[in-house]
Amino acid sequence: MVRQARLLLLATLALWRWLEPGHARAEDIHTESRTPFLHNIPLHDAQGRLISPPSVVSEDGKPQEPKGSPYSPAKTCGKCHDYDTISEGWHFNADAGTVPPGRPGEPWILTDPATHTQIPLSYRGWAGTFKPSDLGLSDFEFVTNFARHLPGGGAGEPDKIKATDPQMGRMLITGKMEIDCLICHQTTGRYDHEARFNALKAQNFRWTPTIAAGLGVFASFKSAGSIAEAWSPGRPVPSVLPAIKYDRARFDTENNVLFQVSRRAPVNNCYYCHTSESALGDSRWHADLDVHLKAGLLCVDCHRNGLDHAIVRGYEGEVHDRPISDSLIHQRMLLIRRDDEAIGEDDARKLARQQLQSEAGLIETLTCRGCHTEGRLGSPRLVHKGLPPIHLEKLACTACHSGPLPQAEPRIVHTSLAHMLGLPAPERGKNTAPIILEPIFLRGADGKIAPYKMVWPSYWARLKGAHLTPLLPAEAAKTLTLPQPSSDDAARDPYNTKPLTDRQIQQALESFPAEPSKGEAVFIAAGKIYRVEKGVLHSSEDPAAKPYAWALAHDVRPAAQALGARGCADCHASDAPMYFATVAARGPVEATNGLRKEMWDMRGDDKTVASFFAFTFHFRPLLKVLVFAAALVVLAVLLLYGLRGLGAITAQASSRGKERP
Amino acid sequence: MSGAARRFSYAVLCAAGLVLAATGLGTLALGRPPMTHWVLMAHVAVAPLFALGLAAVALTWSGLCRGGVDSPLNTPAQALLWVVLLDGLVVILSGVLPMTPLFGAQGQHVLYLTHRYSAIVLTAAVLLHLPMLARRRPTKRGLARPES
Repeated sequence: MVRQARLLLLATLALWRWLEPGHARAEDIHTESRTPFLHNIPLHDAQGRLISPPSVVSEDGKPQEPKGSPYSPAKTCGKCHDYDTISEGWHFNADAGTVPPGRPGEPWILTDPATHTQIPLSYRGWAGTFKPSDLGLSDFEFVTNFARHLPGGGAGEPDKIKATDPQMGRMLITGKMEIDCLICHQTTGRYDHEARFNALKAQNFRWTPTIAAGLGVFASFKSAGSIAEAWSPGRPVPSVLPAIKYDRARFDTENNVLFQVSRRAPVNNCYYCHTSESALGDSRWHADLDVHLKAGLLCVDCHRNGLDHAIVRGYEGEVHDRPISDSLIHQRMLLIRRDDEAIGEDDARKLARQQLQSEAGLIETLTCRGCHTEGRLGSPRLVHKGLPPIHLEKLACTACHSGPLPQAEPRIVHTSLAHMLGLPAPERGKNTAPIILEPIFLRGADGKIAPYKMVWPSYWARLKGAHLTPLLPAEAAKTLTLPQPSSDDAARDPYNTKPLTDRQIQQALESFPAEPSKGEAVFIAAGKIYRVEKGVLHSSEDPAAKPYAWALAHDVRPAAQALGARGCADCHASDAPMYFATVAARGPVEATNGLRKEMWDMRGDDKTVASFFAFTFHFRPLLKVLVFAAALVVLAVLLLYGLRGLGAITAQASSRGKERP
Repeated sequence: MSGAARRFSYAVLCAAGLVLAATGLGTLALGRPPMTHWVLMAHVAVAPLFALGLAAVALTWSGLCRGGVDSPLNTPAQALLWVVLLDGLVVILSGVLPMTPLFGAQGQHVLYLTHRYSAIVLTAAVLLHLPMLARRRPTKRGLARPES
């Protein structure tokens, strides 16, 4: 009897446990409400172990420090949000090599003021950029160069770490650079980017998310980077690595930590990597910021994403560049089959793909044109009074509405990725490398004119035949005789902005070790190639020195400040910047030495046509007066005879009436 | 109104119309509309001449085309002239109104299409009208009756 009672009790307990929500896998649990879930959750380390700081006093009465392993976003956030799917997102997939590159975007720019190097880099293979491997830059070097603004994942989180690779092998100690979800999703404003930067500089990759979130501090004087430095491939990896000294106050009695996060990333989080500022220094307070933000929208209202984090970039035709990830198809397929057991796996997969493709089509309504045509989010519909429709066929929306108003010369702009904005440093100036100009009006792949940001590459290289091999800054510094700024100069000009003279360039080129097999020494800067021939420095325009440009879309100006709001002359005057602004290629040489072109030339337009067309606008008012006057005359004649005809008809009708009393 | 003035105004209308049709309808038929560059400039430059020609035709020819008077033009020719005048008015207004801040994107598009299709109708009307006029010999006082 007792035994039966026990069995019944056990069976009841088992059923109870099976029925409680915790029985399902964490990934399968969702609230599906618009009310955000309270993320008061336990932390897990990279091995998936629960992090539980020891109590203040041990059982034998000794004080204990709250030390533990650093928390792992992959294992902590990944408990409920499928980390592998997230890892395929736009911010993390550049190095995958399997994702369509889409419209060229902002590159990483390898910048070294000491050697006057600025090389646009991208894993995506955008024309005009170098892939890191083209320069002999390993993934590990790329990550250490740009970790400051990398959100983790991608090159920082290789699938496998080659222990024999002297660089990547270091990750056995430093840890991988996991995606740090809080960079984008925390809402407290307490994410410490500077602490993150310092931790990444020390190659404390595994510890960085914990430190940046303020959950604890690195509990060692020796950084992971220096431990890795002392280690060499083939030797055993140190078993004891530094711990995190946690802030006990962040843990509740059940060892849960409160993460104040939101699916809708706050604007300021986006700004850390996506600030673009052309009002430099203290003049920033004059900037109005994007009109959409002023209207109360968030970046993510347009730049949305699902679990796959394939964030909407927002350009027209993007839908054709978006891959639909296998894992997303798989997840959708599971859902379809859960709801309909009868459907086979292949059919479910096909249906899942169809559904996801159809949903992806909706992103076209998140472009400027799409949103303002559909009226989504309360957007005002397109009006464009007085604008002949041809403009909408020849111009991107951004041409008139985005970026600073064009002037006689494009403006210098600083960006987070290029100028390390968001991190404390001596004030950046207008000559701080890399020099990026905006707006440059170019014709995009769709044939429409749009504003772009532009940077001219600058580097020392070997030229053999038509093949250029750029020198990385470290190699250039080692090899070349470059002017060394005095300590006073360095203090006054921390970014070494003094341009190189022709003499200095020649000296540097002549200091290249003579190795004919490796090719001729050249310098690329400001749109030109510099080379020494028979002891004389020559410079000329060269395709290798071509600038790299990427479309700009923000800040969006309101309609009243759009180009054309003041009349046709905004673009069709004989000195209108859209056609006649002077674009002086910028780089580490005297501004007068760089290539200079007018805007029409930058996009291959015909100057005669542009000038003559602008000239005709002087006669536009006369044309309107003449045509309206002529129309008035024709209208008057038509009315006159029309009324006469009407008069004749009524007269005839009256006379007939008289005839028949 | 003298016959010379009539002939001249009609000649101006036809000459300007020819350039406009070649640039506008030519681009529509053979090129990639809308017009751009030199073609657009030629089209816009000739447009006022066409408008003036149309006004002159209205002034010089309308008297011959009112019904119930002894006119050297037969009824179809008279009716076609009114079609030319009415459609010409639509063509020039739909061409110039987009240059004013009165119409938004949608209105502009409607005007653009109106301009295009009314221009096709106008071209057809003028092409029909011309042979009818050619069969009449203009005199100092007007147009001679057809020889029987």
